[in-house]
Amino acid sequence: MSDVPTPHSRRQFFGKLAQGAVAFGAAPGAVFSATNPFAYDVSRFGRTDPAMIGWEEISRRTTPLPEARRIAIGAGNIVHVAAGSEIVRWKTDGALPSLKAGAMVTCLALPRDELVFAGLRDRIVSFDTEGRARVIWQAENDGSWFSGLAVSEHDIWIADSGLRVIWHCDRAGKVLGRVGQKDRERDRAGLVVPSPFLDVRLHPDGLLRVNNPGRHRVEAYTPEGDLEFTWGKPTAAVPGFCGCCNPIALAILPDGRIVTAEKGLPRVKVYASDGTFESVVAGTETFAENVRRCGNASDCTRGGLDVAVDSEGRIHILDRVTGEVRVMRPKARA
Amino acid sequence: MKPGVDPEPRGRRHFLRGGARLMALTGLAGVAGRLAPRTSAQTSVWQIDPLKCVHCSNCATECVLKQSAVKCVHAFAMCGYCELCTGYFEPEPNALTTAAENQLCPTNAIKRTYVEDPYYEYEIDEALCIGCAKCVEGCSRFGNGSMFLQIRHDRCLNCNECAIARSCPAEAISRVPVGHPYRLKTGGH
Repeated sequence: MSDVPTPHSRRQFFGKLAQGAVAFGAAPGAVFSATNPFAYDVSRFGRTDPAMIGWEEISRRTTPLPEARRIAIGAGNIVHVAAGSEIVRWKTDGALPSLKAGAMVTCLALPRDELVFAGLRDRIVSFDTEGRARVIWQAENDGSWFSGLAVSEHDIWIADSGLRVIWHCDRAGKVLGRVGQKDRERDRAGLVVPSPFLDVRLHPDGLLRVNNPGRHRVEAYTPEGDLEFTWGKPTAAVPGFCGCCNPIALAILPDGRIVTAEKGLPRVKVYASDGTFESVVAGTETFAENVRRCGNASDCTRGGLDVAVDSEGRIHILDRVTGEVRVMRPKARA
Repeated sequence: MKPGVDPEPRGRRHFLRGGARLMALTGLAGVAGRLAPRTSAQTSVWQIDPLKCVHCSNCATECVLKQSAVKCVHAFAMCGYCELCTGYFEPEPNALTTAAENQLCPTNAIKRTYVEDPYYEYEIDEALCIGCAKCVEGCSRFGNGSMFLQIRHDRCLNCNECAIARSCPAEAISRVPVGHPYRLKTGGH
């Protein structure tokens, strides 16, 4: 290769200079929006009023594998994180062997019997205590994309964001019903799910909680699928749900309060079980890299956050961009 | 399936089929007829990789044409048909109506049409679109990125040195085979 430097024209020089300036402006912060007359500016929603933040971080850990997608907490407060095709596990005193799923894990559930249930896009598997996997149910439709899972003593509810429905099955995989599907006769549009973020949780009150992201709300259904009530409103302001489609994930505190996670403006909040806003767990400013990545990426379907709750009421937040898991506890009252 | 772009160079038959699909995508008729004579003597054309694009807005201001050859393209097959489309509405609109103050697009180039509750269709009017990518960032930041930029070859002069490519901070613009002139997002759910 020649050592002679490539000659550059005057036009190329100024071009590179402009390129560097734009690249500098693309860094996170206000510089970019200040110089770009067409900037999509959501920076005013990026700061949270400190008075609204009711939780504090007590520890943080990074998932050892890339592509962290979902988090769940099992017996003994063992943290399970679905990362790529594995389920990474740890507890406070060290890591545990991971579970190998053989395909991308898209959702997790940990019932009381210590089995681990996982969704692999279009099938559900369970792992026994020895880590052996068994397929419970395989979707029959190509469009299925399992993104949420709830398991009770006898039943399984599978959030299928591809088909916009919650499948209700028994533990043997027999389909018992469908929750949240479009029903013209009852004038119900059903679940509105523009991207692969549909979650389902079983609340202590016996009802399911499902996020309906296109409606910006949380919906409560009977286990058989009757809609009982909804709450939530679209707004970028803190008490509501931002963007086109939020919240993206749910968790339920031991006392029944509901934790929500959002993308675009990544933030975690706590609501009373009737939907009354209570506090911010972590605001958008906490997740700078997540904000930056979704702003520059071709879409935000790999961004956002997931949440889980342990037996002591601490909230574990998984940053799907950085793989970090933050453990949050309520702030001590003054 | 994660979003992606069509990676394989294609033959004439695929090109024509892809062109037809693009016309269906954007509602623009007559592109193929105008494109054919221009591209017959060329082997490559400029195009944007939507997976690299960072929505910097340079495409609106750097093209040598008075109105940029870069346009927003909308992949209807990917779109969520959201009632609150973040590519269409300002970040915190007063109301979900087509009133000008609620619209994100600086040139009113996106047409919003009611489909059925709660779904709406969003169509790009390319004659008005200036390629500023404001809608692209809104859609990408919150949604699934069904809006993205492409260089339209019925407008592009195919300069030897593309002024937009030179200023692109993400190096998202490169030459592609003339038989495969668009890099359409193909990702599904």
